Parts: sequence; structure tokens; C-alpha cells
Amino acid sequence: MGTNELLLLVTIPVGIGLINIILPNILKKILTFGGLAYLLSLTIQLYSKANLSLSYKMIFALDQLSWLTVAFIQLLGLIILIYSLKSMDEVNERSYFVLFPLTLAFCNGAVLSANSIVLMIFWGLSGISLYLFGVMGRSESASQSARKTFLIVGGSDVFLILGFVLLRFINTNSGWALWNSEVSFNANFSYLAFFSILIAAFAKAGGFPLHTWVPDFSKDAPVEGVAFLPASLDKLLGIYLLARMVMSLFILHIYLQMMLLTLGALTVIFAVMMALLQHNGKKLLGYHAVSQVGYMIMGVGLGGMLAANGQVAAGGIIAFIGGLFHLLNNTIYKTSLFLIMGSVEKKAGTCDLDKLGGLGTKMPITFMFAMISALAISGIPPFNGFYSKWLIYQGIINVLKDLSVGFQIWGLLCLILAIFGSALTLASFMKFLHAIFLGKRQAIHNNITEAPTFQLIANGILAIICVIFGIVAIRIPIMKLINPVLNIKPEWSIAAPTLFGTYFPELFSFLVILPFILGLIVFLILIKKKRVRMDTNYIGGQEPVEKFRISGTGFYNEIRDMAPLKFFYMWADKKFFDIYDILRGISLFFAKLFKALHTGQLQFYCLWILIGMMVLLKIVK
Amino acid sequence: MILPYFIIIPLLAAFLITLFSREKDYWSITVSTIASATMLVLSIVCFITLKGETFIYNLSGWKIPFTICLVRDSLSCFMIVIIQLISFTSLLFSVNYIRHISSSWKYYSLFMFLVAGMNGVVSTGDIFNLFVFMEIALFAAYALVSYGGKAFEFEAAFKYAVIGSISSTLILVGIGITYSATSSLTLAHIAQVLPQKPDILVWVGVLFLVGFGIKAAIMPFHAWLPDAHSSAPAPISSMLSGVLIKALGIYVLIRLFFNVFGAPPVFMNIFMVLGAASIIIASFLAIGQWDMKRLLAYSSISQIGFILLALGISTKLAILGAVFHIFNHAIFKSLLFYNAGSIEMAIGTRDLREMGNLKSVLPVTYSTSLIGTLSVSGLPPFNGFFSKLIIIVACVQAGYITYATIAIIGSLLTLAYFLKVQRYAFHGDKLFDVSEKSIGGGMKFAMLFLALLCVVTGVLLIPALRQSMLDPIVDTIFNKTEYIKLVLGSL
Repeated sequence: MGTNELLLLVTIPVGIGLINIILPNILKKILTFGGLAYLLSLTIQLYSKANLSLSYKMIFALDQLSWLTVAFIQLLGLIILIYSLKSMDEVNERSYFVLFPLTLAFCNGAVLSANSIVLMIFWGLSGISLYLFGVMGRSESASQSARKTFLIVGGSDVFLILGFVLLRFINTNSGWALWNSEVSFNANFSYLAFFSILIAAFAKAGGFPLHTWVPDFSKDAPVEGVAFLPASLDKLLGIYLLARMVMSLFILHIYLQMMLLTLGALTVIFAVMMALLQHNGKKLLGYHAVSQVGYMIMGVGLGGMLAANGQVAAGGIIAFIGGLFHLLNNTIYKTSLFLIMGSVEKKAGTCDLDKLGGLGTKMPITFMFAMISALAISGIPPFNGFYSKWLIYQGIINVLKDLSVGFQIWGLLCLILAIFGSALTLASFMKFLHAIFLGKRQAIHNNITEAPTFQLIANGILAIICVIFGIVAIRIPIMKLINPVLNIKPEWSIAAPTLFGTYFPELFSFLVILPFILGLIVFLILIKKKRVRMDTNYIGGQEPVEKFRISGTGFYNEIRDMAPLKFFYMWADKKFFDIYDILRGISLFFAKLFKALHTGQLQFYCLWILIGMMVLLKIVK
Repeated sequence: MILPYFIIIPLLAAFLITLFSREKDYWSITVSTIASATMLVLSIVCFITLKGETFIYNLSGWKIPFTICLVRDSLSCFMIVIIQLISFTSLLFSVNYIRHISSSWKYYSLFMFLVAGMNGVVSTGDIFNLFVFMEIALFAAYALVSYGGKAFEFEAAFKYAVIGSISSTLILVGIGITYSATSSLTLAHIAQVLPQKPDILVWVGVLFLVGFGIKAAIMPFHAWLPDAHSSAPAPISSMLSGVLIKALGIYVLIRLFFNVFGAPPVFMNIFMVLGAASIIIASFLAIGQWDMKRLLAYSSISQIGFILLALGISTKLAILGAVFHIFNHAIFKSLLFYNAGSIEMAIGTRDLREMGNLKSVLPVTYSTSLIGTLSVSGLPPFNGFFSKLIIIVACVQAGYITYATIAIIGSLLTLAYFLKVQRYAFHGDKLFDVSEKSIGGGMKFAMLFLALLCVVTGVLLIPALRQSMLDPIVDTIFNKTEYIKLVLGSL
């Protein structure tokens, strides 16, 4: 009864959300947890059925790509729920436990849709959820950020409508059915359809230039909502749609794929450059949430690229697998980082990096999880983020081999930007870790204790996944989860390489971990023999008082004044890169213009009527 | 013989209210509510029992073209349902709302005249009677716009009356020319004769397009609307924006240009251009507003643009979109005006800059306003999504990609200005010492009821329901001069 199982993935969370309206808080939590645990187990059971297109084809269907996405929606939903069991403030808790399962249902519905109208409905509903999470924020700018978010994300929904309507008429055979259109770009308006749907995918995932809502939303919305949507579920949805576009909706040509590569690289570098200078921890993570999307766009966008012989290039497939793997990895470590930031914020009362510091000794477990996630996002082996980036780089290089010199230079520039972006990510997270957990602690934070158990459990699970996905990267996530996705398109499956370079993650992990273990053994032996000198810190021979505290936020301030970059930051400060502000400016210009024509004088309005009538007469006659 | 009741009942109610009302408003509320509820039930019966047929009521012993006749077809019944639905909820909303202005019976009496006029316009099959009923509705509307008695309300009513008179004059001249050319005032009969006189058709077409275009507030004939709709009491604003501009404007344009003139391509192209201009320009104007009701008024112009654009495309699908959007717009725009009225009553301002954080003190207003916002912005799964989707699909299907893009941009702009309302009115950190208790049960019921309709009326597109409810209306419009046969043949 596959039919019912797919339906359950939507109806159960909707039911939970509706029941939660009337339940007391404790029952709400139990019901939601039970429901989500069941949904996760249900999804796991569906793994073997993902080869089949399950019925309700008019409404829902399941294939390997949608299974993968749905599975991660359930997994991350459950983990974030565990965190939220003991984290929400009383005012928001009531609506949170209604909105949370509903959002999960909407995201499940969007991914399982077999029909573009159904997809549009669930896609739109997930955007509304995002807005409602946004307005839960307590800060002064929360409503403005929620508005901006919804304008970009909700606004992109109308482009999604246009795109799918165009597709419906470009490929009349498939009707409103979703996944078999394979539109080439010879047809009229196929570019308009492509870019319309791309806008929706980019806006949801946070791709350049539609990314600007993510940092603002991250700063102002409750951290549970940020971890739930922009950090994880929206990424899954956005990149899922992009993957669908590349695999099934369109037959991309090289220029479009190079454009995606470029947009991906720009997303990486723009966002990470902004992240470097942030003073607000959540906003910094928001910029990184955007930056990481760039890698996914680069990888997924190259999927199915043709080699010189007209066959699907293995490099494109490697990049595609890397892109999807990076999607999974990013949802894990980015969710983890947001939740950790949330734990710190709830304890310290702020996420202003200037005011934090030295919390490592007070929150050691949280610090350890933060370090794992920070290293993972920075692409440090053996953590999961390394191998997904590695695959994307390999894929790009492999693809470029067969291209002309012009494309090679173009592609290499993008690759350099991406690698440079990864280095800057590491730099940014060194600042992040230092500013929160290292350095001198402010006296007001001396009474801070470790995060509550539920939060530690959630963060612990995510950190463990970061490690496991790094150590057994090929064996489990790639071979078991991502490789089956290629079966959707047999020619991709054939082109998929059996070996992924010369990286052996298990061996490499062992080699990385071994020196640490040896070091630890030496350290413990020396401690036992009391050969380690313990001393207090001092600066310039004096006790390190609070005024000598270095927060870490100023680590990279100099780049703001560096010759080519200062213009970038100056323009960024003036919101030249913010599409929301650009469009807002244009709208207000026209609003003023048209308003000036509305003088409120009756004779003027009568003149309009007269002129209007004369023009009409002229046209009709 | 159900149709005449939609004119008799409100006229009788207005008469009884005027005759027996005392200082208190209980009698007028009771009479008008009973009349309105009765008409709502009758209208639903009228619509459901029609089954796609056309009936004629001759009000005297004379026959067409000499008689005054009422025509009951799918389109007129559809409009009657909308009028009764919104007037009923507006009356419920009015009970508490109007008391904060005055407790006079005059409001209810005028309200009944307004309803009688609109019902007459959509029921009649005679163009001169249409004009007369239109004037009845307009006189009531002029008075109701100025009901608050403040200077700006009188100014708005004056502007409305002046521009309304210009449009009525143009319409009257059009009727005169039509009569001189066809020797008939019956629409079906005119439809038979007029196409043989293309020169006359051009003149009459332009006069009617401008005349009724002013009533429908199509760009560039819209200038009266923002003042009038923002100055009127909220339930009247909802009547004006929700139904009056449709009954007196859009409905008559459909009846004349489709059923009488046979949808001449040149006028259909003009519909599309004016519709597109209305969508975009009114949306930009709405973005720049701080007066909540004025913003809603500009939004009405923009939404009328969607309807007109769809009518101009004039394919079956586009007409379905237009018809459905007429219905949906009546619901969500009335709801949004109720929200504005509720806020105005609670905190005494319509200026968005003076509002804030009303989410916490006016939860019903907030939640219903959010639903209204999502509906008008065309977001799924609310009713506005489906009608706009159909309009966009129809544009693409007919090959008008530019118009589809304009509709898309219009939707985006709609979302932009309604999120402005949400942000400034309902969020933020201002504190108001008010509660929703100050708002009456009738007001809350009206808001909740229309919000519920915003959520559920999308089901009308389920094929079985669409075929029985919407398709007959679409057929009435799409089959154009089939109206002649139906009316003249059903004698």
C-alpha cells in the first residue's frame, strides 16, 4: 500500500499540527515527537520502494531523489524537534508546535508532488510557514526581515507558477505531470520557463542574487525556525528543485551549465566575504548558509554535462553527486551550528560576538560539537564537508578537461573562487569559535552552564553524523543514498564512475585521528607523572583583565580597507547587491511618479477621462 | 418569479425602516438583517435551481421589445449571490461598527437602497432600467460615502458624485444613441440589431466603455475610487470595492460587450491593455500608500485589472479565471476592508505608521487579515491563487506571454504592499491598550466567515463543482450573443 504511505507523510504531520492547536504543551511535544519518529521509520521503510513510482501519480509519487530529500526532511525535523523540546520561550511555544509539523507536511508534500499544481501549492505553503516562523522573532527588525524573506521567497512562487505554466504548454504531452518534460531550449519561451523555475529554486535555497533574505532572517527569527527552514528544509527543497530541473525538466546546454557554475561560485565568494566581517553570530551563520549553497549549485548544475564525444561526462556526474552530498552535509552541520548558536544565545542572552567569548570551559560539550561542525563546514578532512567539496572540485576539473580553452579559463576561475571561498570559510569559523568559546570570558557570563540535555542530544547526533558521513563517505552516503538517485536517468547511471578518485576516507580518517590519539596518550602519561606545568594566563606580565579581552570579531577588519575589496564592502553597505533593496527602490520610484499624477484635483481627473475617451475613440475608429 | 424579490425585498425593507424607525437602531438592524438573510438564502436557491437555463420575467403585459424585463441567467444569478453574500456580512459588520459613528436608521435604509440598486442592475434585461437602478445604487453610495460627516468624507463623496455624474451622462448618451439606432432598450433586442450598424457600435462601445469603465474604476478612469473607498465607513468600503464596482462596472461591461456586442476584438484588445495598465500602475500606487484603506482601494483597481485582462483574452479558460476572480475578490477585499475597519475602530487610525503590534491585541483581525493578504496575493492554497493561476494559464495558452508576465509582476507587487500592511499594522513593538472585546461579535463573525471562504472556495474548481457552478456562467459569457436566442427564445 505505497499509496497510503506517501499520503501519510503529509496527512500525519498535518493532523498533528491541527491537534496541537488544542493540546496542552506537554502532550503536544509527546505527540509531535511520536509522530515524527514514526514518519522517520516510515521513510526508512520506503527506501526499498524508492525504485518504484508509487501510485497516486496524479498527486504524489516517489523516486530515489524524492526519497533522499524526504528522508533528510524527517531526520532533520526529528533532530530539531528534540532540540526544541526544551528550548522555546513560552510565548512562541504554542504556535511553534502547531507550525512545526505543518511545515514538515508542506515540505514533504512539495517533494512528493507528482503534479506541478500540487507542487506549487505545497511550495507556497512552505513559504508561508517560513514567514510565520520569521514573525515569531522578538527583535525590532524581525518583522522587517520576515517581510523581506516572504517577498523574496513568496514572490519567487509566482515565477514558479509562470515557469510551470509555460512548461505545461511547451511540452503538451506531459500535461501537468512533473518529471518527464525534458524540455530542450529550441522551444519558444523555454528560457523564460527555465529562469522562472530557477528563480524559485534559488530563492528557496538562497542562491545569489536571491540570497539576501537568509542572513537577515537568520539574525532575527527564533533559532529553531532558522535551523528548521533556511538551514535545512529550504536548502533541501531548493536544491531538490534544481536537481529536478537538471535531471528531468530541462536538457541543459553548456552555456546554461557554465552560468550555473558561475552563479554558484559567486554565491560562495560573495557570501563568505560578507560572513568574515559579521559581528552577529546568527547573521554570520546565515551568510555561510548562503555560501554553502554555492557549492551545491556548482555541483548539481554541472550534472549531465556532455563530454566531447556527446556522451554524458563522468565529471558532470561526479560534480552532481558532490553537489547532492554537499546538500546533505550542509543541512547537518549548518543545522548543528545554528542550534549551537541558539544554545549559546539562550545561555548568554546574546549572539553578538563582541559580547561573547571564553564559553568553552563553561559549555565544553557544546564547544566540542561546534568545533566538529565548524571543521566540517570548512572542508577539513576527515569530516563530511571535505569530501563533498572534493568531489565537486574533481567534477569541475574533470568536466573542464574536454572543453575549449575559453570554457576552461572560465571554469577554472569559478573553481579558484570556490576553493578560496572554502579557505575563507575556515578563517571565518576560526573567528566564530574564538569569539564564542575561546579568549577571556566576560564576568557576566561566569555563571553560564552547559546547554540542556535535549539540546546536547540534538547537537550530539548532528556532530556524530558529521563524523560518520566523513569517515564512511563513500560506503554509506554516496553508494547507498546518492548513487541510487542516478537510476532516475539511466545514461547518468552508466556514466557514473565506480571509483571516486584516490581518496580513501576510512584510511585517511585513521591517519588523521591517530596522531591525536597518540598525543592524548602522551599528554595523559605526562599528566600522571606531573611533568606538565599548569600556570595562570598573563598578558605583558599582568593578570589578563577584561579590558585586554580580544573578542575575535576584529580578526579580519583589515580586508574592509584593502584596495579592491573596499569597493565591494562599500557597495554592499549601500545595499547594491541586495535585490530586495534594488527592487524596493524601483518600486518606490514608480510609486512616487504615479502619486505625483494623482493631485486630488477634480478637474485634472476629468481631463484624464476626456483624454482617455479620445484615445479610445481614435483606436476604435 | 424569484428574481423580482431581490428588488422588492430591499426596497420594502428601506421603506419599513424609514417608516417605523425610532431613536434606537434595533428596528432598522432587525429589518435589514432579516431582509438581507432572506435574500442570501433566496439567491443561493436562485443560483442552484437555475441549472444553466435562462428565464425572463416581463413586468407587464407587454412583450419584448416593449416590456421591462428581468433576465435570470447564470451570470445574473452569480452576481446576485455575490451581492447578497457581501451585503449580509457587511450588515453584520455594520451593527457595531456604525454605532461608533451614529445609531441612525438612515444608514440601514441607504444600505437597502444600495442593495436594491445593485440587484436591479444585474437582474434587468433592459438598458434604461439598468441605468435607473444604477443611479439608485449610486445615490445611496454617494450618501453612504459621506456618512461619517467629516470634511474629507464630504469631499470624497462630492468627487465621487461629480465623476459618477460624468460617467452616467456618457452612459445616458450611449443609451440615447443606441435607442435611436435600434428603437429598443431591451438588451437582447439591441444585440440583434446593433451589429448591423458598425459605426454606431463604435461610438456606443466607447461611450459605454468609458462610462462603465469609470464605475469599474479601470485605469485611467479610476481617480474617484481611492477617495471614495477610503473615506466611506468600512462596511460600505467593502460593499463598494467588493461588489459595487463589479455589479455596476464589470458585470455591465461583460453583459454589453460580450452578450450584446459579441466581444468585438478591438474592444477585447483594449480590455487587455487597460487591464494590464490597471494591474501595474495601481499596484505601484498602493505600495506608496500609508492610509490602509486607500491602499486597499488601489488594490481593488489592480485586481479589477486582472479581471479585465482575463476578459480581454476572452478564451473559455480566461473567462473562467475572470468569473472566479470576481467572486474571490469580492470575498477577500471585503474581508480586508473589515480588517481595516476593525483596526480603525480599535485604535482610531487608518495610518499604518501609527499602528503596530496589533497581532497581540487583535488576534482575530490579525489572523483573518493574514488569510486575506495571502489570498489577494495569490498564494496557495487560498482562493486568489486559483483564480490568478487560471488567468496566467489562460494568458500563456492564448500566447500572451507578456500579459502573463505582467500578471506575475502584479501578483508580486500585491504581495509587497500587503506585507507592508502586515508589517506596520500587526508586528513591531508598539503597545496599545485595546482588546478585541471592543469589537462586536458581528464584526468578528463577518471576518471569520469571509476568511473561511478564502480558504475553502478553491474547491469550486473541483471538476464536478466547477461544471455545475462556474461553467454555466462561463458559457453564458463565452457564447456571447447566444444570449439573444436564450432571451428572445424563452419568451
